[in-house]
Amino acid sequence: MDTNSFDAIVVGSGMSGGWAAKELTEKGLKTLVLERGRMVRHPDYPTATKDPWDLPYGNRITQETRQRKPVQTRTGYPTPANQHWFVDDLDNPYVEEQPFDWLRGYHVGGRSLMWARQSYRFGPLDFEANAKEGVGVPWPVTYDEIAPWYDKVEIFAGISGSVEGLYQLPDGKFLPPHDLNCVEVDFKKRLDEKLGRKLIIGRCANLTAPLTHNESPQRGTCQSRNLCIRGCPFGGYFSSVSATLPSAERTGNMTLLPNQIVYELIYDNDKGKATGVRVLDAETGKQTDYFAKIVFLCASALGSAYIMLNSTSSRFPNGFGNDSGELGCNIMDHNKPGGSNASVEGYLDVAYTGRRPNGFYIPRYRNVGKDKRGYLRGFGYQGRAARAGYGRFNDSAAIGEDLKKEFLEPGPWNVGMTAFGEILPYHENHARLDRDRKDKHGLPLLVVNAVVRDNERKMEEDMRNDAAEMLEAAGYKNVKVNSDNYHVGNSIHESGTARMGSDPKKSVLNKFNQVHACKNVFVTDGSFMPSFGCQNPSLSYMAFTARAADHAVGELKKGNL
Amino acid sequence: MSDEMMQRRVLLRRVAWMLGGAVSAPAALAILQGCSAKDAAVSAAVFKPKFLTAPSQMDIVAEIADIIIPKTDTSGAKDAGVPAFIDLVLADVYPKDAQQRFTAGLQEFAAMASTSGSPFLEREPAQRAAFVKQSLEKALEGERNPKPFILMARELTLLGFFTSKVGITENMEYVAVPTAYHGCVPLSQMKKHVYWE
Repeated sequence: MDTNSFDAIVVGSGMSGGWAAKELTEKGLKTLVLERGRMVRHPDYPTATKDPWDLPYGNRITQETRQRKPVQTRTGYPTPANQHWFVDDLDNPYVEEQPFDWLRGYHVGGRSLMWARQSYRFGPLDFEANAKEGVGVPWPVTYDEIAPWYDKVEIFAGISGSVEGLYQLPDGKFLPPHDLNCVEVDFKKRLDEKLGRKLIIGRCANLTAPLTHNESPQRGTCQSRNLCIRGCPFGGYFSSVSATLPSAERTGNMTLLPNQIVYELIYDNDKGKATGVRVLDAETGKQTDYFAKIVFLCASALGSAYIMLNSTSSRFPNGFGNDSGELGCNIMDHNKPGGSNASVEGYLDVAYTGRRPNGFYIPRYRNVGKDKRGYLRGFGYQGRAARAGYGRFNDSAAIGEDLKKEFLEPGPWNVGMTAFGEILPYHENHARLDRDRKDKHGLPLLVVNAVVRDNERKMEEDMRNDAAEMLEAAGYKNVKVNSDNYHVGNSIHESGTARMGSDPKKSVLNKFNQVHACKNVFVTDGSFMPSFGCQNPSLSYMAFTARAADHAVGELKKGNL
Repeated sequence: MSDEMMQRRVLLRRVAWMLGGAVSAPAALAILQGCSAKDAAVSAAVFKPKFLTAPSQMDIVAEIADIIIPKTDTSGAKDAGVPAFIDLVLADVYPKDAQQRFTAGLQEFAAMASTSGSPFLEREPAQRAAFVKQSLEKALEGERNPKPFILMARELTLLGFFTSKVGITENMEYVAVPTAYHGCVPLSQMKKHVYWE
């Protein structure tokens, strides 16, 4: 075996890549993990312990950063505290045929460092919807098949939450739930009484208690700093840097190389297999080939689709494994067109201490059970109640001592929530390559064209109005409906570009995330999703990645790959 | 401002420039001990604005900030370094159009003070405060989109103050590592009623 040959190659080191690396190395495979960005090691996160006064510009983004990162910054996500996790858009261009917010983290850990940590299972309702409604392709996997893998990843990652017994949002193996605050408890009660709707504490990948296993000695419990997006030196939340990659490292079977841009799969026509990947060094431009028995693409839905679209051969003239013509298509995200907020009277003698890295969640209730609407699927809400901060002094004429007295008391309570709605898979929502336009490495640019369509538009009305209705039903004041100009990608849940299905004519992957037409290539990031629910998807990527890795090693041992 | 203060300021600026402009505050302070300049003018003088460079722009903005949040038994805007903060945010964070609105609004503010009595910086403290208060009230009654100058200045003052160490720690309970979250705590059990979040 030469130095460029391994048992397995994992492309990408984020949410999915970390899991692939852990599972494959723990099962004894010599595994090369290729990350296109720079190295990040736990617990070295440059801004993690900075106090607010140590951040420049009051943590506001400068014009200089806006110029380098116009896409990243236009979404409002980056701040000086975390901007080093967001790519330089000028160095990493793509083409927006329709506005598409492509938020990217090119570094070891990928977006598992910046994610919002909300962790929900998809349920039977989600896995059955496409088949029942004749949308896209049926899921080739049932909830019962994936449930044990959800168990496994929840236990390892550490997911906090409350057991609720909801059909549309299955319970998991939870660490203790965060507290709802006083007003959220009030809202929960009123919502249940007035409208029969559930409000629960968010389920999140923060350790509200020690892990129930000993596999991650480098991780401690969540310290309620709510600075997660900077990276947590306590290991208080799950990221591949804090959790899966250290496990893979400890096996001695992992080789992790940063700054390696995988741009093509190498296909051997005679063997009918992929033999490896082509790589450019991001710093030197040096080209290298790496070889392995199996390849896991975990480069993100658009990243993996890019590599496959760019991997053409006489067997795959339209992109790797693209016999169906669905590669790069069916892009989904979560539609986020707004919500509502209101002010709450009373509760002035209570507040909260600590900073909860989590909010409340209102699980989907539309098109669940007897509820029937004029659109398919549904939406959930994420929100929180809080006491108003110093922003409330912006539009006031109080000055001097009067104003300074007001500084010492918290503002009135307010409550707000944002809807996340399911987007159906549409073939037309697609990404493709423009081979005439190149980036600085000479690689073709990705073109993205995805919009929300009729079903989503119909749902939007409910998404906004229901939120206001709930706040009004609870008796809160100054209820405002918020309308956001959502672009696909803005929820940072892009997915669906290599969907799984039983029929190779209509899907790219089989039920074990294997490329139908080339069984030793697995795609386990968001690419594989045939539909998207309204729940945050990362937990599902973890579960499917772990399951695919298990299948891959089994098939290797049987000599099938 | 008194003539004596003006002269001291000019002197201090010259010292700063003489040393190349990039002189550190402690170094300049050491040099200036002989001038017995121990009031706020020292920091204002050594500090070289990046955006508010035209005559008296920086001084007017600094006074407005300190009128909105004055020093009392706790720190005020100047103690918190708010004037320098505002200048830097205007220079590096604000887009061109907002910068221009701020500058034009500042000029208008100064002109209005001059025509309605006396130049802003020459007024007695109470008259200055009254003029700021009156400007705020007027702005709040009128069109607020785009934000009028005085409300921009106010927002910047609050942002600078509440991202400064003294602004946060003197007015809020700041705990870097809280270790736990408690969702419903009586204010009577909190050291300070506002918990930094």
